[in-house]
Amino acid sequence: MTKIGLEIHCQLTKLESKLFCSCKANYREFEPNHNICPVCMGLPGSLPRLNQKAVESATSIALALTCDTPEKIAFFRKNYFYPDLPKNFQITQLNVYGDMSVGGEGYVSVEDKKIKIRRIQLEEDPGRIIYEGASERTKITLVDYNRAGTPLVEIVTDPDFESPRQVRVFLNILSDLLENLGVAEPGLEGAMRADGNVSIEGGNKVEIKNIGSFHDLEKALHFEITRQQSLFERDIEIAQETRHWDDRRKITVSSRSKEEDQDYRYFLENDIPWVKIDQSTRDRLKENMPESISSKKERYIEKFDIAPQVADIIASDRYYSKLFENAYSDNNAKDIANLITTDVIGFIDTKEKQQNSKITSKHLSDLVDAINSKTITRNSAKVALQEIVKSGKDTKFVLDEMDLGQVSDSSEIDTIISKIFEDEKQAVIDAKERPETVNFLVGKVMQKTKGKADPAKTLELIKSKLNQ
Amino acid sequence: MVDEEEIIRVAELMKIDLEEHGEHVSRVKKMLEYFDILDQIDLSSEEITAQQKLLNELRKDEFIPNDKKLIESLKNFREHYVRAPKMN
Amino acid sequence: MNLNTSILKYIEDVKSGIFTVEEFTAETLQRIKDVDGDVHAYLSLNDSVLNDAKLIDQKIASGEKIGQCYGFPISIKDNICITGTKTTCASKILENFIAPYTATVINRLQNEDAVITGKTNLDEFAMGLTTEFSAFGPTKNPWNLDYVPGGSSGGSAASVAANECLASLGSDTGGSVRNPASFCSVVGLKPTYGLISRYGLISYANSIEQIGPMTKTVKDSAFLLNVIAGQDANDDTTINNDNVNYLEDIEDGIEGKKIGIIKEMTTSDGLSSEVSTATKDAIGDFESLGASCEEVTLPTIPYTVAAYYTITSTEAGSNLARYDNIRYGYELESEGYEYNSYISKSRAKFGPEVTRRIILGGFVPSAGHAGKYFLKALKVKSKLISEINKAFEKFDYLISPTAPVQPFKFGEKIDDPVTLMLLDYNTVTANLTGKPAISVPYRVINGLPIGMQIMANSLNEKLLFQSAYALESKTNLPEVPL
Ligand SMILES: [Zn+2]
Repeated sequence: MTKIGLEIHCQLTKLESKLFCSCKANYREFEPNHNICPVCMGLPGSLPRLNQKAVESATSIALALTCDTPEKIAFFRKNYFYPDLPKNFQITQLNVYGDMSVGGEGYVSVEDKKIKIRRIQLEEDPGRIIYEGASERTKITLVDYNRAGTPLVEIVTDPDFESPRQVRVFLNILSDLLENLGVAEPGLEGAMRADGNVSIEGGNKVEIKNIGSFHDLEKALHFEITRQQSLFERDIEIAQETRHWDDRRKITVSSRSKEEDQDYRYFLENDIPWVKIDQSTRDRLKENMPESISSKKERYIEKFDIAPQVADIIASDRYYSKLFENAYSDNNAKDIANLITTDVIGFIDTKEKQQNSKITSKHLSDLVDAINSKTITRNSAKVALQEIVKSGKDTKFVLDEMDLGQVSDSSEIDTIISKIFEDEKQAVIDAKERPETVNFLVGKVMQKTKGKADPAKTLELIKSKLNQ
Repeated sequence: MVDEEEIIRVAELMKIDLEEHGEHVSRVKKMLEYFDILDQIDLSSEEITAQQKLLNELRKDEFIPNDKKLIESLKNFREHYVRAPKMN
Repeated sequence: MNLNTSILKYIEDVKSGIFTVEEFTAETLQRIKDVDGDVHAYLSLNDSVLNDAKLIDQKIASGEKIGQCYGFPISIKDNICITGTKTTCASKILENFIAPYTATVINRLQNEDAVITGKTNLDEFAMGLTTEFSAFGPTKNPWNLDYVPGGSSGGSAASVAANECLASLGSDTGGSVRNPASFCSVVGLKPTYGLISRYGLISYANSIEQIGPMTKTVKDSAFLLNVIAGQDANDDTTINNDNVNYLEDIEDGIEGKKIGIIKEMTTSDGLSSEVSTATKDAIGDFESLGASCEEVTLPTIPYTVAAYYTITSTEAGSNLARYDNIRYGYELESEGYEYNSYISKSRAKFGPEVTRRIILGGFVPSAGHAGKYFLKALKVKSKLISEINKAFEKFDYLISPTAPVQPFKFGEKIDDPVTLMLLDYNTVTANLTGKPAISVPYRVINGLPIGMQIMANSLNEKLLFQSAYALESKTNLPEVPL
């Protein structure tokens, strides 16, 4: 049986400042080495100052993943030399004196399987090596420290996954959860990374590092499983080792570095006192936590009688659910949900379109009101939506401007029907013999009125004319 | 007994070149041997403690730009990048 | 003009126009020129010191609001950062390091109009007890130039003792303020851990070290603590002291107070007979001041030096890892080197004691040895804290001599690592427990000083100063023969 475990690193990109200094957490907008200060450069005499909100965000993640959260958290130093590490140690968390990282054990359900979270820790990201002088010709390494000290949450799972597909489902759930919590943007380049470990029945555990994206993770896991299986079939022992993902060749290669020989000399970071997180703080964080996707979905179905597929679509997308939450009242929730899933999604189906869209919740409730009061038809609503998404103009203004008001005046519709009865003699005969073909005539009226005629009234008038 | 080979190996991990500091091994060994005194005290009931702070006493999450010239006061930088030696 | 004056007397004299700040500063500069060639207390001088003094005179003349320091000259240990000036830690590896920012204590001094004379010598990265481990040559004891001034803040102590300034800031990791204070006959305070911001103090062993004032009198020490103590947003380990005024009630005396004489520190093998005799005299003085003295035992003390060196070398090994000469440091072209060899080559600039402590710091917390050394050391610390807290339930003060011996000659002890370590025997307890401790000049025997150490419970500096002032008033010490 294949066993896969994960170590996921997620940057807390929604924070303003770094983990231990006031430099910008989002380092992406700066020129190289222009988002640095004495603290994140590890200059002599500088001291780390822990970011309160980083602790809160990490604790929220732990709570959302149902992890145990301790009364006190502590930070440790992981000591090793590397050019991207300004102090030549990384400040991270460990659980050697009892549970003292932001999160302990928790579980995530992936389909029918429970995946165990082993621990969650808060730590600093190193800088970035832009150019590694590895070959004979290259003589130096270039380093950018803008990223150094960016708040990072590490989530470690047990080797509970049985396939790369399960890993993918889990990572989707996790990304949605982190995004929904409002602490991270998993879509941002480099904001979420994962290392994996793989073992097959009868073989040793192999760690895979240096994986750039979730997409590559799946590829790397597939490659590694196949590699191990082919070794196993040929009776070659699978060595316990760390392998690196070679992005160019799309294979894993044995690491030259003697990672196993490293002694990180972990010990307490005494520049940061232990932080007490009492029950009331945890309660407050829980209270302020956005509703989880599954409980949101449940609420939509139960409270508003919304169809499960519709509820699922709206609950699992922050953009749609925000539109919905701000638009609905008790008597129109279902209509608003349907309008979103049948029409809005058609116009706004990418993150980019969501960003550019001008539509507001008020537009949605206005449109549903207009449909329900028969001021416009469903069809007109769709036409209006397209314009609103683009311009963001007031609903009433758009309806007037595009002349989308519903025609429900009987004499006006009657005049149109009379004209159609003259033009479509055969259809009238058909409809008299086979009433089910009457829709053709209704459709003609709609065509003539550009969809503005009240469909119910039109049908009624046609039927009575056929019976004359 | 402390193994001198091990002291040399540790020095290497700490990026200390003992070729220029060879005489230190015996002196470090003497210090380590003095530390053996720690074996003579009963510490079975002791726990490790540290200073503590409340969550709301920590730094607030605020971006305060630092002086842009910090990089220029450092050495070894070229076109904004810090130059480090090549990796093996 | 008498340079052998206290800060408080100086301020009075400036206020009453007996001399100007500039006049006093110029006289101090002349004194430095005259004696520092011999003493070698300073590593660098503030080029604009006279100008800084002039500006304060102008402030006074114009009736502008003036800080409480009135331009008194103070020297700073060269492991505390001041923007735009060299901060070397007496190490070749930081020989050209210009700090790009200023320590909190310096900001507080400058806001109160103190004038900084320069940066003082120390054992490299504050590791040592004699200043013999300075990469730029030792400081001499102003009482006798053949003798060590103590360390690691030896330059600071000597600069005050030799009247090359009125006060100094040192740092104390295991006695580095108190030991040289004792050897040079000045007052040295190691405050409660967290009372003074360490922001800008270059770390050696950050979990136990503090900056401390070094002054000619106990009142000056209290005055200086008023200026620099208190919580700092740049140091998460600082604690609230409710803005205590340490000078207030300082003359209240110690009548009825209970003093514990630490048995382990007054009967140890290393104690010299002169120091032992002086200690007995001091106990007599405390009793004559109305305090009751009683012997107290802290059985963990014999293990503290080993615990102290284990903890400090572990932290030093980590704190000094950043000196890889990549982001700052000295000129060494990185091209042509491989990463590991470049760093090792760069770090060969560390002096012998620092090198040894870094190796120790790699050894004692390593996965295979932490159980035998480092974790035990932390537990010794815990045990000692329980013991001393219990002692403070009974006693207001705990006393001992600051150092077990008087100053000794250069080269005398430098070759024996264990003897050197044991010089810290009486001072490390205050660091491991975080308690405040002060060294008060008490005797000069055979032309060499002896200091007495008083400890109090956490944040009880005010109480500590009352006892120190009372003891000081019982002494009548000679002037430094320089
Ligand atoms: Zn920074």
